[in-house]
Amino acid sequence: MLARNETIFKWALYAAATLLCLIVQSILLQRVTLWGVLPFIYPLLAAIPATYEAPVPGTIFALCVGVVCDSLLPGPIPCFYTLIFPLVGLASSLLSRSLLPAGFLCSLAAAATAFILVDLFHCLLLWALAKPAWSTGLSLMLRELAVSLPLVFPVTLLYRAVYLRVHLDD
Amino acid sequence: MKNFLRNHGLWVLAAAAIISVAMAAMSVFSSTSAPLSNLANILASPFRSAYTSVATWFNEKQAYFADVQAMEEEITQLKRKIAQMEADVRQGKLDSEENARLRNLNELRQQRRDLSDFESAYITEHSVTNWESSLTLNKGTAQGIAQGNCVVDDQGALVGVVREVGWNWCRVMTIVDTDISLGARVFRTQDLGLAEGNFSLMGNNRLRLDFLPVGCQLMGGDLVLTSGLGGFYPQDLVIGSVEEIKVDDSGAALYAVLAPAVDLSELTEVFVIKSFDIVT
Repeated sequence: MLARNETIFKWALYAAATLLCLIVQSILLQRVTLWGVLPFIYPLLAAIPATYEAPVPGTIFALCVGVVCDSLLPGPIPCFYTLIFPLVGLASSLLSRSLLPAGFLCSLAAAATAFILVDLFHCLLLWALAKPAWSTGLSLMLRELAVSLPLVFPVTLLYRAVYLRVHLDD
Repeated sequence: MKNFLRNHGLWVLAAAAIISVAMAAMSVFSSTSAPLSNLANILASPFRSAYTSVATWFNEKQAYFADVQAMEEEITQLKRKIAQMEADVRQGKLDSEENARLRNLNELRQQRRDLSDFESAYITEHSVTNWESSLTLNKGTAQGIAQGNCVVDDQGALVGVVREVGWNWCRVMTIVDTDISLGARVFRTQDLGLAEGNFSLMGNNRLRLDFLPVGCQLMGGDLVLTSGLGGFYPQDLVIGSVEEIKVDDSGAALYAVLAPAVDLSELTEVFVIKSFDIVT
C-alpha cells in the first residue's frame, strides 16, 4: 500500500509519461503514413498503464486519457474516447489480473483489445449514422493495428519504468 | 704628417684646386657624368640593385599577406551575402506563391460579389486520426471565423466546412469526411443531389453524390457545384467532378463518385468565407 504522497507522485509520473507520448504522436507519428494509415498511439495510452494497475484506478486513468483525447481529436461524437477508453482500461486491467501478468506480452494483448474496441465502436457509430462501412472499417483496423503495434514496446518500457520507480519495495 | 703639410701644404692645396677646377670644367664641357661620380655610382650600383630587390621582395610579401587577409574578409562577406540572397530567393518564392494565391482570390472576389468576406488561413495540421479527414487552421474566433463557415482554396474550390472553432484555431472537416453533407448541383444538367463523405471512399479522397433524380444523365467529368439551397452554404462553389456512376446497394438508384477539385494533401493556405449573400 502506497502512502498518499507516493500515490500522487505515481500518477503524476504516469501523466508525464502520457504527455511525452502525446508530444511524440503530434510531432513525429502524425507525419508518418504506412499502408495509408497513421500510427495511432492514443489507445495504447489508455490500455498499457491499466495493465500495471488495479481495475478501478486503471479505468479512471483511461477515462482521463479519453477526456484529453476528446479535447484534442475530432470524433464522430463529442465524447467518443471518454466513452470507450474506460472500457479499454477495464479490459486491460482485467487481462493483466486474470490471464497474463503485466509485461510486453500482456501489453500486446491489451493493445490489440484496445484497437478492436475503439475501431469497432467507430464502425458501430458509422452504422448508427446510416453510413455503414464494416469491411472498410475492419480493413482499416487491421492496418492500424499492424502499424501501431510496434509502438507497444517503447510505451510499455516507459510505463514499466514509472511502475518500477514507484514500487521499488514490492 | 704635420711636417708634410707644413712643407708641401701649398702644393697639395694647389693640386686640389687644379683637380677641382679641372673636374668642374670637365663636367661643364662633358655630356656624361663626372668620372669620380661615375666611378662611385658604378661601385654602388650592384648594392643598390640588391637593396632594391630585397625591398621589392618584402613589399610583395607584405602586399600578398594584406591581399590574402582582404580576400578572406571578402569571401566571408560574400558567403554571408549569398546566404542572405538565398534566403531572399526562398522568401521571394514563398511570396510569389502567396501573391498568386491572393491574385486568384482577388479575381474570385471580383467574379463572386456574393462572397464578400474572406479570411486567409494557413493549415497547421492535417488529419490526426485514421477515421476522419480534417484540417486545423491557424485562425479562429479572434478573426471572426464561426462554425459552419465554408473553406475554399484560391480557385474557389470547396475544401470543407468549419466544424470546431477556438480563439486562434479552427478545425475544418474536409469534403471527403463522413461528417459532411452538402446540397449539390450538376453544372451541365442542373440536376440536384446530395454530396456527402463516405467512409469507404474517404481513403481514396473521394465522396459520393447521392439522391440523384430518376433519369439523370450524368457523364464522367461533369462538374458538380454547391447548390446553395437552404442558404447554409454559398452556391456555385466547385465541389469536384464526376468520376464514376454506380448503382447503389438497393439496385434502384444511381450515385456518382466525385473527385474533389482540390488536392487536399497539397494545400498549405486556404480561405474561410465568413459571410455571403444568399443569391435567389
